Amino acid sequence: MKPRVSIVERLYRASLALYPRAFRDRFADEVREFAHLRVRAARCKGSAALARETTSLFSDLTASIAKQWLIALREPRRTTTDYDTPTVDALPRDNMDIVIQDLRFALRALARRPGFTIVAALTLALGIGANTAIFSVVNAVLIRPLPYNNPDQVMLVWGTQGQQANQGVVYADYVDWRARNHTFTEMGAFRPQSVNLTGGDTPDRLIGSFVSASLFRVLNTKLSQGRLFTNAETEVATKAPVAILQYEAWRSRFGSRSDMLGKTIVVNGTTFTVIGITAPNTPIPLGAPDIYLPIGYYPNANGLDRGVRGILVAARLKPGVSVAAAQRDLSNIAKQLEQEYPATNAGTGAQVISLKEQMVGGLRESLLIIVGAVAVVLLIACANVANLQLARGAARSRELSVRAALGAGRARIAQQLLTESVVLSIIGGVAGMAVAVGLTKALVTLIGPQLPIDATDIRLDVRVLLFALGISIATGILFGLAPAWQASRANLNDMLRSRMSGGLASVATRNSLVIIQLALSLALLASAGLLTRSLMALQRVDPGFDGSNLLTAQFRLPAGKYDSPDKIWAMFERTVAELRAIPGVEAAALVRASPLSQNGESYSIEIEGKPAVKAGDAPQMLVNSVTRGYFSTMRIPVLLGHDIAPTDRMGSPGVIVVNKSFADATWPNQSPLGKRIKIGDEDWRTVIGVVGDTKHYTLNEKQLLQGYIPHAQRPQIFTSIVVRAKGNALDLAKPVREAIWRVDRDQPVWRFRAMEQDLDAVVTSKKTMMMLTGLFALVALLVAAVGIYGVLSYTMTQRTQEVGIRMALGAEMRHVRRMVLGEGMRLIVVAVFIGLAVSFGAARLLRNQLFGVAPLDALTFVAVTVILAGVAMLACYIPARRASRIDPMVALRAE
Amino acid sequence: MAKTDAQSQLPLTAVVLHILLALADGERHGYAIAQEIEHTTDGQIRMGPGTLYGSIQRMLGASLIEEAPARRRPVEDDERRRYYRLTSFGRRVLELELERLSQVVRVARQKQLVRDAEVA
Repeated sequence: MKPRVSIVERLYRASLALYPRAFRDRFADEVREFAHLRVRAARCKGSAALARETTSLFSDLTASIAKQWLIALREPRRTTTDYDTPTVDALPRDNMDIVIQDLRFALRALARRPGFTIVAALTLALGIGANTAIFSVVNAVLIRPLPYNNPDQVMLVWGTQGQQANQGVVYADYVDWRARNHTFTEMGAFRPQSVNLTGGDTPDRLIGSFVSASLFRVLNTKLSQGRLFTNAETEVATKAPVAILQYEAWRSRFGSRSDMLGKTIVVNGTTFTVIGITAPNTPIPLGAPDIYLPIGYYPNANGLDRGVRGILVAARLKPGVSVAAAQRDLSNIAKQLEQEYPATNAGTGAQVISLKEQMVGGLRESLLIIVGAVAVVLLIACANVANLQLARGAARSRELSVRAALGAGRARIAQQLLTESVVLSIIGGVAGMAVAVGLTKALVTLIGPQLPIDATDIRLDVRVLLFALGISIATGILFGLAPAWQASRANLNDMLRSRMSGGLASVATRNSLVIIQLALSLALLASAGLLTRSLMALQRVDPGFDGSNLLTAQFRLPAGKYDSPDKIWAMFERTVAELRAIPGVEAAALVRASPLSQNGESYSIEIEGKPAVKAGDAPQMLVNSVTRGYFSTMRIPVLLGHDIAPTDRMGSPGVIVVNKSFADATWPNQSPLGKRIKIGDEDWRTVIGVVGDTKHYTLNEKQLLQGYIPHAQRPQIFTSIVVRAKGNALDLAKPVREAIWRVDRDQPVWRFRAMEQDLDAVVTSKKTMMMLTGLFALVALLVAAVGIYGVLSYTMTQRTQEVGIRMALGAEMRHVRRMVLGEGMRLIVVAVFIGLAVSFGAARLLRNQLFGVAPLDALTFVAVTVILAGVAMLACYIPARRASRIDPMVALRAE
Repeated sequence: MAKTDAQSQLPLTAVVLHILLALADGERHGYAIAQEIEHTTDGQIRMGPGTLYGSIQRMLGASLIEEAPARRRPVEDDERRRYYRLTSFGRRVLELELERLSQVVRVARQKQLVRDAEVA
């Protein structure tokens, strides 16, 4: 009897296959023997010693394999013939001949076993197709260059204030940066903002971008007609009323009129002359506008004053200049400006980031995690096909031994088998293209809207196809290695003598493959589990307001027409009255920045009696302007004091309502009512109420410190509408629009959204990632279950005789069943341990994507372990049952 | 590269030095080499098979050691086992290295950096 060899040791032995050939041929036997002696010695000293020994053996092996590959790659053609069995190919042939012969033979062999070929090809198609589809997204988002010339030179420059990054830029600072820098060839300013287009049948809203002429030089913008702005036309002092239309807007809004150049249009109440139309698909950072207008016309009051962070800046690096060098340059200039304008520029800095990084930086991690997950699915599929092939090896051993007897060398047979694997994987790859096309379509609809790129960029281009071909070949080699290795090691005598090939070694390899499959599935399940728990936590977050039946919309008044706070407030007051009069409206109010609309303004504030320690260090407050009734409309609880009163108007003493977090943080154990706050350089405002916290930009944000001031005390031309409907919120969109037109028939209103849509949108991206990972985990689990089922069934067929004898000697069905299940159990236990270790690693990688759940969440890990073990046991049960039904007489006669 | 200048092989890494030392008094197979080293270094150097055979491969390449020719083996000995022994070049390198080391120890002792006289 052969000595019993533990599974761990078998895994170790199978891992020896990972050594480069030269080393393996020469030393694998000795390494194996050495490890065996070590394990035997350790086993005598108890299980702790055994565990220590196992760990040390595997780490030694890993390091050594890596080292040997380094050596092998450095001296690729080491002559190893001293140690090799010489190859005895009958006739020396041309290499190409051999390849063609192998290919022909491979195709014939595959065609002879259509069942195997179809199952294997489908498994591979699934893996390769999924990987290709995901790669098409990665290609579009991370790899394909942005559509600017020399896109690596295009930067965005943000302002910074103290510790706060990603702030808007002060126009005056931009002018100085542009004049003084040495690292950029050009720098341009822009400010996207919706504008009102009037003069048509109904007022219309366009997405505008107020730009400097230099922006077009930064982006190298091309026109299809007309001319670009001149420097003078965009500057504040010399601005001229000229406009450039985006090509697509010209087509959709102006019906591609051929006489558009020189025509005038009324935007924000000012008449502009159209002087140019861009080329089709002209890109511009952060979303393409419909119309470009000179930045001198940027309509916000004080919009371009020093100290007001209004604009965005794009810039082009000089050739050969690094981002870091540009950053140093601008930081120096910012320091000079701090000294020159201490009142406005204290603590102000600049931050350079490449446009690419700005657009996709935040996505990279989640995409790479999905890539990891889908790659694991492919690995598991590979292991499965390798197992199928090993099982088939048994059936083919006669064919191979005949070939060997006729003089084919081991290397030659291995090469033949490898060719077969690669042919198979390419068939799988071709079938995988169908999977990829379908999946890519699904991905475009599923995640397209969440990506910062045009979703039509996600397509199967040459790079994606090359990728698919590449992974097909790599896959074929990967899953072909084990069988080829097996065949190349098999002894001719053994093969001819026995009907089985491989024997014990083959079982060990197959067991290791199953363990790898199960372990990787567990890691995927755990990742999917953690993401699911995060999603659940996110969905449980209380936004602080009631989103049901809540309609939101926005409008911006033209500054020319509403040129005084009184006019603006009069319009707002009438609007609220009209909104409340609509049948089906339960409550309505105006708020400058509604939650989850991504609008919002933070201000440095001063708290009476608590002066800021130094400039740039003042507390920041998210300040919102609201009308009376906002809190009751949103169902935000008023905890202390009261809502804004009708008497809180322009000219009356300033008041503010703060949220609970701000009150608790600023005046612990004191009543905040009556305390005073100064926002920016305003006069003091008295706290009249405390309301519940709300989420503003997203659901998993750190709670912001919030303040609400009366719209009536600082009316600004932009506001949002919130309307609580008695029924379905979106049914009110039309009546709301008409109510506003009753106040001003030229006023466009936009972004009608049910708050529930916005709440859903916040969880959607997390949901996508969870769904994809979950889907991959399920596929992995399924494939792994098939894997363990296959291995046990195979071992059982090989042991039919043994089982027959046992049963003849009086073993009962349940004993046999227990024996088979025990075999499966051992594999599962080892897989769970390895899988948990891998999962812990995976969880660490996922850390940033998690919310409200620890990376090592016990519940998740227990649950997925139970699921994996359960499914795997189920897969073992079928062969076990079958084994226990063996009729001893039949089994014995079979030999 | 083979048998060039023995001096060019110096200094030896700890692993190589100990393998040479382990083989100094006769041929051994891999596991026995590792056992011997573990024993003589009081468990301070305990190498796994990968490390050991990686070194053996390099030492074979540098002709410091060679495989002992097949010999009559004890009955229970596994036929997979291969025995290694020093080449004369390997012995020369070992001697040079030991000379170098004792030189180092001598200097250290003169400077009273080594307290006890345990070094052989």
